[in-house]
Amino acid sequence: MSAALDNAELAEAVRMLRDSAAGLASRGGDRRRVRALRFQPPGFDPAVLAAMAEQGWIGLLLPEQKGGAGLGMTALCALAEELGAALAPEPLVPAMLSGSLLAAAGADMPLERLVAGEALVLAAWQEAPSTLEAPGTPGAPRLFIPQAGGASAFLVPVRQAQGLELWLQPAEGAALQLEKTQDGGFFGTLRPEGGALLGSIGEDAVADALEQATLATAATLLGVMDQAFVLTLDYLRTRQQFGRPIGSFQALQHRAADLQIQIALSRASIAAAAALLDDGSTSRAARRAAVSRAKARASDAALLVTRQAIQLHGGIGYTDEADISLYLRRAMVLANQFGSAALHRRRFAAEAHDDMLGEDAA
Amino acid sequence: MTDLNALSDEAFRAEVRRFVEAEYPPELRHPPHRLHWEQGRPWFDKLQARGWVAPGWPREHGGLGLDAGKQIILIEEYERHGVARLPDHGVIMLGPLLIRFGTQEQQERFLPRILAGEDIWCQGYSEPGAGSDLASLRTEAVPGTDQEGDHYVVNGQKIWTTLATDANWIFCLVRTDKGGKKQEGISFLLIDMRSPGVTVRPIINLARHDEFCEVFFDNVRVPRENLVGEPNKGWSMAKALLGFERIFLGSPRQSGYALARLKLLAERMGVFDEPDFQDRYTRLRMDLDDHKDLYETFVAVLRRGDTLGPDVSMLKLHQAELFQRITELMLEIAGENAGLLEPMGGNRDLHPAGQFIEARPTTIYGGSSEVQRGILAKNVLGLPG
Repeated sequence: MSAALDNAELAEAVRMLRDSAAGLASRGGDRRRVRALRFQPPGFDPAVLAAMAEQGWIGLLLPEQKGGAGLGMTALCALAEELGAALAPEPLVPAMLSGSLLAAAGADMPLERLVAGEALVLAAWQEAPSTLEAPGTPGAPRLFIPQAGGASAFLVPVRQAQGLELWLQPAEGAALQLEKTQDGGFFGTLRPEGGALLGSIGEDAVADALEQATLATAATLLGVMDQAFVLTLDYLRTRQQFGRPIGSFQALQHRAADLQIQIALSRASIAAAAALLDDGSTSRAARRAAVSRAKARASDAALLVTRQAIQLHGGIGYTDEADISLYLRRAMVLANQFGSAALHRRRFAAEAHDDMLGEDAA
Repeated sequence: MTDLNALSDEAFRAEVRRFVEAEYPPELRHPPHRLHWEQGRPWFDKLQARGWVAPGWPREHGGLGLDAGKQIILIEEYERHGVARLPDHGVIMLGPLLIRFGTQEQQERFLPRILAGEDIWCQGYSEPGAGSDLASLRTEAVPGTDQEGDHYVVNGQKIWTTLATDANWIFCLVRTDKGGKKQEGISFLLIDMRSPGVTVRPIINLARHDEFCEVFFDNVRVPRENLVGEPNKGWSMAKALLGFERIFLGSPRQSGYALARLKLLAERMGVFDEPDFQDRYTRLRMDLDDHKDLYETFVAVLRRGDTLGPDVSMLKLHQAELFQRITELMLEIAGENAGLLEPMGGNRDLHPAGQFIEARPTTIYGGSSEVQRGILAKNVLGLPG
């Protein structure tokens, strides 16, 4: 794992990841691609997802003996941030979640195909909105499966008397309903039925995989808000009203400063949580508290920044043709995925120990 | 003396912790306002005995020569223990400025007296007409020559001069040229406060403390050798010194301490478990923890030996506003105690009104929040002027 890398090696790995992300889905460059894929099933480009697999991204967190890159959350967050900034609609984070689950269940064959980009397996774990619980109720509909129309199979956790089992259900013939999402993608609802048993899976392994996906989603939101802010600053510098650039007005300058602070807090919080997860020596409660703090911040900040981005663009911001709305729509989809800010605040309150206030205690 | 820089960070931290726990006067921990010189004197004596008065100064000038990383640890441990800030403008502001811009004569004359606690310095920057717009300052220094030599005659007024009543010297930004750009006619002058024509008047602040003062200059004669650097270069010298100390205005410690007291108050008021309070308290805790993470990213810059950019403004801005939000919640839950002038039941940790008042100036001093937002917008985000 990343613990084996020293700081300089990790920094280099992160730099290379960011570079190759820019090659595949650049921050500023391919919003036309994003537009072309919107609302067209499956909502993303399978060829691009395959190219991401070829880069080793689906297996980024997996150990090398499982065909992975053996990198950690610091690396993944950097990658997710870049792809968020690029608005890439490919379901990389959900695919990685599947990878972690398959690895934990010891299902090497489907894992190999997933990591190689030959088959998109998506986890159908969710039974309620805005949750991080995978109760595994047999037969219960599995909700909000991102980009489900592109899956070749679904991973279904099912609770049995002795614990959780992981089942693989082919997409072909599955009872799957698709709903369009604001950002041009599709949520799937699956009624689980049949399939093949892959093996049993530990509760902790599921929880850890969801933890990683949550933090990666926070990092994706960071990229979304950051790029929306870049475009908005450009607009503030160039848009002329009353004979001067609107960015020279103090009311807008101060608002921009406040957005910048929220972005900086999000970035710091995500980086700290990633380092904590990579460290591996911290308690589960501390890891959960850190991830929840990062996701709560990122969700709130991304919605704040992207809706202010619309406001600061004025009338043009309310047109579908202006690209700035793409960032708001993506933030709307991701903000509550893997738990809303409210859920994560509750989780933080439950998990963060008071001694985290440290010796400040009076 | 051992080379403290050679210690590991952990060993140095332990060393500082041992020192403050053994030597710091317990009755001076977490004072609600700045200490006057005589109140803080016992602690100064301890620092002096140990040779720790000036951690950041080079050793050849009598300092500890600590690198930035070690200085941060020192401050963190002081903050953790609730060590009071002494009247320290000589150590923090003037010393480094003289070391960088002063003549050898000035260094030899003033630095040892700072280390010995013989000279207490205050800072004369702000004026009634020059607050956020400091460069418009008008206190004037006119050069002249008489039988006693070259000198300046100073007339004008400074304000918000922290602990001027304790000081015997003041370093001032004064106007020496009224033409041209306003930043370019400012000089840096050292003035003996015992000179004829200097009057100090304390101002009682909202905390009912006489922390800051007005200082009046009425035809005050200042010898030419008290000018630091070149005439009309005072502004850039003073700005060059806005160094890494800026990070401490953004330290999470003040908010952390306030949050612990908020919890104490909520328990005392019986509202701690109420869902509404819990929700708001949790938000504040998360804000504080995120702030700590952000603070650490700036600390990391200093540890690498890099200098802070203008983006450090966001740290001070967020800290101050967080501190205020915490104390505002205190006020809300405190019932009628919100109106008390003194701590509840004499317990200094239960003083919502006092904490609330204490938080007010943090968004004003050291560059108001409005000024900080302007800096962020223009110098960091590149928005037009």
